[in-house]
Amino acid sequence: MTWWCAATGQPWSWAWRAYPGVWLFLAGLALLYWRFGRTTGGPGARWFGAGLVILWLALDWPLGALGGYLASAHAGQFILIALAAPPLLLLGLRDRAGRSTGAVARSLRGMAGPVPAFLGYNVIMLGTHVPEVVDGLMVSQFGSFVIDLLWLAGGLMLWWPAVAPAPLRRLSPPLTMAYLFVQTIPAIFPAAFLVFADFPLYRLYELAPRVSDGYTPQYDHQVAGLLMKIVGDPVVWIGIAVVFFRWANAERRKDLATTQ
Amino acid sequence: MIRLSLTVIAALTACQGKGGPQLAGKLSGFELPEATARPSFSLRTLAGDPFDFQARTAGRLTLLFFGYTNCPDVCPATMANVSAVTGRLTSTERSQLDVVFVTTDPDRDTPERLGPWLQQFDREIIGLTGSAAELEAAQRAAGITVAFRDKGTDNYNVFHAAQVLVYSPDDSSHVVYPAGTRQAEWAADLPKLLARWGGQ
Repeated sequence: MTWWCAATGQPWSWAWRAYPGVWLFLAGLALLYWRFGRTTGGPGARWFGAGLVILWLALDWPLGALGGYLASAHAGQFILIALAAPPLLLLGLRDRAGRSTGAVARSLRGMAGPVPAFLGYNVIMLGTHVPEVVDGLMVSQFGSFVIDLLWLAGGLMLWWPAVAPAPLRRLSPPLTMAYLFVQTIPAIFPAAFLVFADFPLYRLYELAPRVSDGYTPQYDHQVAGLLMKIVGDPVVWIGIAVVFFRWANAERRKDLATTQ
Repeated sequence: MIRLSLTVIAALTACQGKGGPQLAGKLSGFELPEATARPSFSLRTLAGDPFDFQARTAGRLTLLFFGYTNCPDVCPATMANVSAVTGRLTSTERSQLDVVFVTTDPDRDTPERLGPWLQQFDREIIGLTGSAAELEAAQRAAGITVAFRDKGTDNYNVFHAAQVLVYSPDDSSHVVYPAGTRQAEWAADLPKLLARWGGQ
């Protein structure tokens, strides 16, 4: 039974396929949010819903299925799952997290520190791009599910220091911007390997049935590496811009308050 | 097709009697228990000219592959990987090498279709075709399983041997490369094959 997108070795087809595991996973997240995460009032549910939509686009057909054939599609999934969806999901949970107390609050505050977030995200990001890991896990539905789950967990770690509400936040806005910028640096390594390697890194994508004539494994790997930096980094820069403008607005309001 | 190639490889390794694949020194392919002679068969080029394989490729490193352009998996991957590496050889190395692709689907692989399909990989690949009987004779001469169609309608598959047969400049085959041989493996092995078994 097919429940999650993975590399099958079967010839690629544009015919739609159902991945019920993806739907159940997203429905489970929505249910958990409805039951435990939402707060009345505010845009939290809309943020969370937007995050779920991005996850759905990344995990379901066609992108999820293409992720078993093309390194570039796999990179697209990474950008959506680890970089784009997590800040939206966290914005949806922020109010609830801000009301937490005791050990939960202490854990959330601990994870909002730059060092654990940097280490957590980058260990996952680098580890899940090691050829042996990709070639080994992506060939099974469970392995592919594990990679997707790790990416989501890594993305939540990456963004939490920037999105955490005031009582849990540990970084000032300038430090948050610096932190986010630094988070984009380690991805240079897998991206550079993908772009500049003499031969395709991933056995899986080198030998997968072709999706399109002329789109060779070498091009595919190069596009994957470029996507990681050219599309992935700007997603984080958007976060940096949001932090900057919110900080600037807050400073302006402060200035106005002191002059009145 | 992958299953078929695995069967062939399993048969090859079983012949070695050592319970598993044995690498030819530091080569990535499977060493044959006994070298086999360059086969003799005659087919036609895409221009319609006769092509005596044994005579035309004698004394040269030759990669021989049987496949078809509608192949959804092994053929395009194999040709892409081989071509990615032959494209990086020096002009001297490339001039000592022939890559020969023989169709196993002559009905659909007309010269008009096969030519552009091969050229997308490498303009120097030699494409060969022939009648069903000639193609069967060629496969038998090369010592591989003869390809056969499935029972589909117009969009049928052709089940064919998926290994790349390598004939060295000494006009023998010492090593066979299974489907799934990677570009890095080809890049490492082609110069060794040229050097190892002499020739020109």
